[in-house]
Amino acid sequence: MTDSNVPAFELGDTLAMRCGNTLTGVFVPGSKIALSAFRHVKYNSRDVPTDTANQDPVLIYMAHETTLFDEPVLRSLLAESNATFATLQQLGQKAARVEYVNISRAYRSIVRACLEKLEHEKKSPEVQTDDLRLQRFSEAMVVFYAAECLWHLFEILYIQQNQLVVPQLLEWARFHFPQTEERATDLLLMGEEASESDDYWNVLRSLIMLGEIDITRAILSQNRRASQPAFKTAELALKSMPIYQEGYSLQKFNSQWEYWHMDTERKILSNVFATEPELEQLVQLVVGNNDEWDAGIKASQDWYQYLPGYLLYTKPTCKPFELRIASTNWLNRWSMLRPERILNSMSRMILQLMEHDVRLFIYEAQKISDTNWFSAHLLDLIHNSGILKAYFDQNNVDLPALRHSIIYEYGTFLMSARNLWHLGIDYLDYCKQEGRAAIELLLPRISIRSERQANKLINLAKQRGLLTVEQDICKVLSKRAYDGERYGNALEWAIRSKDVLLVTGIADFILKTYSRTGNMLCPDTIANIGGRMFISPRLVFLSKYFEFYEFYRNRDFLSASELLVNLLESKITPEYFWPSLLIDSMPLLESKDPKIFSKETVAILHHIETELVPIIERNTDKFGEHHTETVFKDYRVENIDEILNLMRLACARNLARAMIIENTMALE
Amino acid sequence: MSANVSTHYISEKVARVRWLPEQLQQSERFITGSWDMERNFVRLWKLQSNQYATANTAAATDNVELMPRCMDKVSVEDDVTGMEFVDKDTLAVTTADGRLSLMNVQRAVEEDQIHFTARSEQLHRFERSQDPAPCTDISVYGTDIATAGEDGCVNILSSSNIRQVKRHIEADSLALFAVSFISQNQLVAANRMGVIRMLDVRVASEAQPKVNFMVACKDDKNSNFVSSITSHPMQQHILLCGTEEGSITVWDLRNLDYPASYLNAHSSPITDIGFHRKDPSKLFTAAEAGEVWMWSENKALTCDNQKDGSSAWLSGDRVKSLVGVEGVLTNIRKAINSFDVHGTRLVCGGDSEAVYLIDDIV
Repeated sequence: MTDSNVPAFELGDTLAMRCGNTLTGVFVPGSKIALSAFRHVKYNSRDVPTDTANQDPVLIYMAHETTLFDEPVLRSLLAESNATFATLQQLGQKAARVEYVNISRAYRSIVRACLEKLEHEKKSPEVQTDDLRLQRFSEAMVVFYAAECLWHLFEILYIQQNQLVVPQLLEWARFHFPQTEERATDLLLMGEEASESDDYWNVLRSLIMLGEIDITRAILSQNRRASQPAFKTAELALKSMPIYQEGYSLQKFNSQWEYWHMDTERKILSNVFATEPELEQLVQLVVGNNDEWDAGIKASQDWYQYLPGYLLYTKPTCKPFELRIASTNWLNRWSMLRPERILNSMSRMILQLMEHDVRLFIYEAQKISDTNWFSAHLLDLIHNSGILKAYFDQNNVDLPALRHSIIYEYGTFLMSARNLWHLGIDYLDYCKQEGRAAIELLLPRISIRSERQANKLINLAKQRGLLTVEQDICKVLSKRAYDGERYGNALEWAIRSKDVLLVTGIADFILKTYSRTGNMLCPDTIANIGGRMFISPRLVFLSKYFEFYEFYRNRDFLSASELLVNLLESKITPEYFWPSLLIDSMPLLESKDPKIFSKETVAILHHIETELVPIIERNTDKFGEHHTETVFKDYRVENIDEILNLMRLACARNLARAMIIENTMALE
Repeated sequence: MSANVSTHYISEKVARVRWLPEQLQQSERFITGSWDMERNFVRLWKLQSNQYATANTAAATDNVELMPRCMDKVSVEDDVTGMEFVDKDTLAVTTADGRLSLMNVQRAVEEDQIHFTARSEQLHRFERSQDPAPCTDISVYGTDIATAGEDGCVNILSSSNIRQVKRHIEADSLALFAVSFISQNQLVAANRMGVIRMLDVRVASEAQPKVNFMVACKDDKNSNFVSSITSHPMQQHILLCGTEEGSITVWDLRNLDYPASYLNAHSSPITDIGFHRKDPSKLFTAAEAGEVWMWSENKALTCDNQKDGSSAWLSGDRVKSLVGVEGVLTNIRKAINSFDVHGTRLVCGGDSEAVYLIDDIV
């Protein structure tokens, strides 16, 4: 992206237009910008409503970076590379080189598989009718095709670290310029008739320039005139061309090579091919005739297309470090012959790789519009495999820091994209404390659409020991359930959140509702709280009170009264619940057969005088005589004074009765 | 880990996966349902021979022989939360918008098809806001379909007419996470707290039997939800529950005072639990951490005492010595949400956006 095509935003809504089409923007989490109309206010502007206030709605626009990964097909690339990334992290920095080569190949095969899927999907009617998607597909294919091409070259030159690069470079060039091979297959299938097709010699020439000697020979042998001396000589020359293989003695090879070269040139000079000028051109290419190669350059699609082929015929033993000079020379020659062509960024990056300018390459790699997929994964591989370490040290590149920052960028992008969080979190895991902090911030921001998803998020937080995140999610869900009047659900989420205040709040609500209406909310949940009640004293009270309530409802009055007395003594009774609790004791005091002992009766009386009466008095002070009922929202209470008297009476009666029974000797 | 695992990335988070039922042959088609995507789909896949497999036999061992190909898809409104076949061509699908859909699958030689046949009313909704509540699970018994939802309700419908709800049971005030038929008229439904309730299809909410039992948990101060329930295909009184803490609790429904067995299994929440469709001596469990385990009963020790209704699964602490465990799939790192076994093939899928095919379940 050059400076001239920085994207410009314009709102164009009426409000913005009114203020001279100005706007303001704020970054919001998830790499978004919130844009809205803006009116410039200076120190001397008067602080008055504008003339047009309330005329137009204030609209807020969200702008976010477009990414290729909106396309579902590309998700497989993300998911699969995520798995490979994790494998690489497990390998760490101490594995054998071949392991890293395998990882590199795995990444490339992911891209290739994805390209194939794109190719396939692009042809489907669903995409063909959708212009926007079609364009996105083309864009994605360009980007990932380039990524694969560059990665392949990088793998050959730096990861494999073979001393012999020409054969691999040939393979690379062939893979990325497949048209010639496709045509060659056609020609082979045509057999003898092939020689009549118009591009017969063109195809053969580019086959030679791509170093495909065997295929060229096969096609030539099918020619009608294959039995003529010129063809036979060409066949012999091509067949006998020495190919350097690793392990050969270099000297021996060189002398063989020299001899073969001399011999072939002599054949050309002796006009063996005079009858077949096109055939002669082929052989001229093979011996590295500059005029013929210049013609080839003019026909080539990009500067690097025929470079590996040229090396094969002129410098077959080229070492990686010699490639630097060879590629510079070749490019000079290319740009001289084709001055009109400007290098695009991919061609530039290829040059940078061949010239061993990795630093610049990495810089350019970050500009590929794949939201850092390429640079993040490649840098991570470079870092882990330890290649080029000396190079980066010399050039003052802090590779670990660079990797860290790019992986962090990539991870946060995934994490904040709508449904890629499960992939992003893995990258952030490897970003030390910054990554952890980012997870802590981004995880609770993922919008929760179902409880199952919430549980997945909680599990992720739990694995990483992010207690606050876990609790935040629970609290949000608790609040949401509470607002939806699903109190059982709210209580359970609150218990999960381990937030004492929240649990107490909800328990309070349930108790207050009960004392006001006599209606116990979510009994099924309270009944099953069990050991979890100890999180909050209020919850303990609620659970115990509920137990009493159940005993009472099931007419187990003895257990009920025992529990009630315990509750009265427990000191965890909330103030607002005293009236309700004491009123509950009344039927037990008044029942036909006595259930509460004298000592406990005294205790109840004591609570009436020390807890209930002060509350009543305080309320009368505050609100006057007539407002007692507004504070005592118990569903059973209408006249508080009467109730108070009745309770005192009940206590007295029960006390008398209990004392008589307790102090009577058994008549036996 | 099993040797013969093939992984196929499908660009969708998989919520549920099911083989198409086949009576006499190995099923070659399966269905996936996605969740948490821009647009969610139910897709029909067919296994086809891999056109890229190299022909020579020497290299054929690392080759993937069968590749799934997407034959057809149906777009659904929201996340798929449950999928079950009612009969051999009818698929019942529950979604997070609280509805049940029926789809019809047509097998063909070339292009199989799947399409909508019916869609229910809003089955689950939150009382106050009337917003749709996600369905969470589905269970099928004959032609009856039961759905459970986050609103704590269970709905029973008949596959012949899903526009009409046969029975609506307000089972719980918590979100239900799993539901399973244990007989024609009885259901169990489990909530987020780990409470499992027995429900009767024939009676209304108020008259439901108050039978409930709580799943076991290592630490009773923690919540432990039940994520998946299954009952033994031959001995229906045996109920197995997979839970949040990764353990399996086994209940003998004839004696609900205490769980029959409690097994420590995975270290992450169990996501799915189920017996092999044809071979009840094998149980499979899948977990959030990306594992699928196979539990196989040691036949030599348990073959003759099945008549009296006892089973290796009910033998308390001794279960581990009677049932062997092996990892079918490990180290996927992302949740496996669902699996299905048919014959010797297991298919599973999850949040790694891939389906895994395992060919040699024996």
